[in-house]
Amino acid sequence: MGILFPNSYDSLVPELVTERLMASIPFASRYRLVDFMLSSMVNCGIDNISLIVKRNYHSLMDHLGSGREWDLTRKKGGLNIIPPFAQKTVNIYNGRVEAIASIIDYLKRQKEKYVIMADTNIAVNFNFSKLLQRHIDSGADVTIAYTKEDIPKALRDIDVTKKDLYYTLDIDGDGRVQKIVVNNKENGVHNVSMNIYVIERQLLIDQIREAYVNGLTYFERDIISPQLDKLNVKAYQHDGYFARIMDINSYFAENMKMLKEENINALFSPNPVYTKIRDDNPTRYADGSHAKNVMAADGCVIEGEVENCILFRGVKVGKGAKVRNCVLMQDTVIETGATVEYAITDKNVKITSYKELKGTESFPVFVEKRKQV
Amino acid sequence: MAKEMIAMLLAGGQGSRLYTLTQKLAKPAVPFGGKYRIIDFPLSNCVNSGIDTVGILTQYQPLVLNEYIGNGQPWDLDRLHGGVHVLPPYQKATGSDWYKGTANAIYQNINFIERYDPEYVIILSGDQICKQDYSDFLRFHKEKNAEFSVAVMEVPWEEASRFGLMVSDENDKITEFQEKPKEPKSNLASMGIYIFNWDILKKYLIEDENDPESENDFGKNIIPSLLRDKREMYAYHFSGYWKDVGTISSLWEANMEVLDPENSGINLFDDDWRIYSRNSGMTGHRIGEEAVLENCMITDGCSIDGKVKHSVLFAGVKVEKGAVIEDAVIMGGSTIKEGAQIKHCIIAENVVIEKNAVVGEMPNGDKKGVATVGSNVTIGEGAIVGPDAMVSADVKGGDKA
Repeated sequence: MGILFPNSYDSLVPELVTERLMASIPFASRYRLVDFMLSSMVNCGIDNISLIVKRNYHSLMDHLGSGREWDLTRKKGGLNIIPPFAQKTVNIYNGRVEAIASIIDYLKRQKEKYVIMADTNIAVNFNFSKLLQRHIDSGADVTIAYTKEDIPKALRDIDVTKKDLYYTLDIDGDGRVQKIVVNNKENGVHNVSMNIYVIERQLLIDQIREAYVNGLTYFERDIISPQLDKLNVKAYQHDGYFARIMDINSYFAENMKMLKEENINALFSPNPVYTKIRDDNPTRYADGSHAKNVMAADGCVIEGEVENCILFRGVKVGKGAKVRNCVLMQDTVIETGATVEYAITDKNVKITSYKELKGTESFPVFVEKRKQV
Repeated sequence: MAKEMIAMLLAGGQGSRLYTLTQKLAKPAVPFGGKYRIIDFPLSNCVNSGIDTVGILTQYQPLVLNEYIGNGQPWDLDRLHGGVHVLPPYQKATGSDWYKGTANAIYQNINFIERYDPEYVIILSGDQICKQDYSDFLRFHKEKNAEFSVAVMEVPWEEASRFGLMVSDENDKITEFQEKPKEPKSNLASMGIYIFNWDILKKYLIEDENDPESENDFGKNIIPSLLRDKREMYAYHFSGYWKDVGTISSLWEANMEVLDPENSGINLFDDDWRIYSRNSGMTGHRIGEEAVLENCMITDGCSIDGKVKHSVLFAGVKVEKGAVIEDAVIMGGSTIKEGAQIKHCIIAENVVIEKNAVVGEMPNGDKKGVATVGSNVTIGEGAIVGPDAMVSADVKGGDKA
């Protein structure tokens, strides 16, 4: 069974999560980040998936509905969105230990042997079957998926007081994790954890119970790291394409990478990525329009110039408008003659006629939902 | 639980004038407008008009159509009571019968209709492009206390002889029906969309079935019988966009009209009357560095690196660098390779046009044919497909068709 944490790393992209959470951040013209993890899980036969949400989860619930588009409207299992655990008072969980502790009774009642847990800030076509098989074959207690990369600057810049942690792994020749470093600030290529874990359900229940009683908060830091000698923790490298969203700049950059055909092919294969359907009509490129290097979803009407942009569903670009290097979310309207460069516009934004809005590559301008410029 | 009105959608036709496009595909399943199939229009009209029970009568090559309809979920017709039902001819204890005609098809499904005990039944055609509010049509039918109403469209008098015409008085009461007459008395063409009171429909279907001379056709038999018996028959005027896409050139034209919503009258961009369809599930389309687009419609999953002018591209179409496309309708999954010239034609699904091949020609004086390449065909490198060609098999490189 799968458990997703849709709020993880929320604090790193404050602009995008004022009314939503990391999981429902729009990406690549018609998806939301959660679609990737969810689709990867479903495509690998995982059809009992719980999402433990913390706050701002209305947009996620609206997006997922009954889970039908991901084939998750099942009689057994299917999609479960679990809001903050409410007993006498609504208790918003602090850290993964508490989050999982809040659904311990639910976990006990499930029948699946293994649990796969993941965050939703990485867009990836992940092979969970391979990960699970490796876990079973290796006899490990826990398997952590990681990528080999330079630690992204955005992560290294994280304030030490922020609650979001990231981990790098020291792995020995047998693929066993010898050490877990929290918030590693070193340069160079490291094994950066993807925060994707496979663990036996019963073991998870035992560990969480123990940890909760002892007031521990974080899964990797407080449960796994101190017990690396007692538990057999193995690592699994993901060497395919992935897009890690850690701040507004990486959000912009990863979207822009989707303008290259080889990246699109890499991210959307081998398995399809499902998402909510909006029944728009195909996009229209009218006379006088000029489009170059664009990824666009359905429902757009392009009458102006669009270059190097990601356009979500229903975006309208008026005559004479010039839009370059932008990410325009759903239903954004760029009116006649407006000029917009290096901007990210949230849903339903309107840039009125002849206005100029310019950011720079290192500092894209962000326009909030429904704002008019 | 009785329904007020249910719909019976005739989708069994072959559409023989679409030749290769309907070789393995029923006409209502023919792709249209970038991401739709013709049947999406009557189905969406039903659900937008509040009709939640639709029987679809299939017969000719129904496989793609059946799979496309599925459980009706994309059109919101996946209901606990009612919803969409595909109705092929079936075997009964007393033998089996293909549908002999439009009326016979409905006759064989009387039991299906009885299950919903409706007051009214609307008969629809699955091969027309039209956005219509059937609830308004029903309102008219009730107002006139009609037993039978037919939706009609005004056509130019010069064209009237091509249609089945309804002659009516100033109260819209039908006095005569003329089938493709040499001397038309009216310019109101029947759209083949009828609302019947169920008891009347049932009576006349049974009567017609028992007539061995009958062709079991609504236009040829049922309507004349109703007239003969002086039934309460009325003509409902419809004035929106309506296109019968039964020929290659009308199908091509209708697709081109989608590119010009301001003038043609067909607006697919209407939020108030959405046309639903089964989605491709592909990613957003990609327009490359060297692509040039002018007045076209691009659907999800397309990958465009060439020049595309005044064309409609369906889901997942790939246009390589150096390819030039104009005035074309290119259906899903097809690939147009480098240097190919595609002009004024229809290319069906999953076609491969190899490098430097030429398909079709822009209209020039008398030459205004729309070349057609059927599905799953490969046009070899450097091959030439002429403007009047109808290709249903591979064309080898360098050959002419």
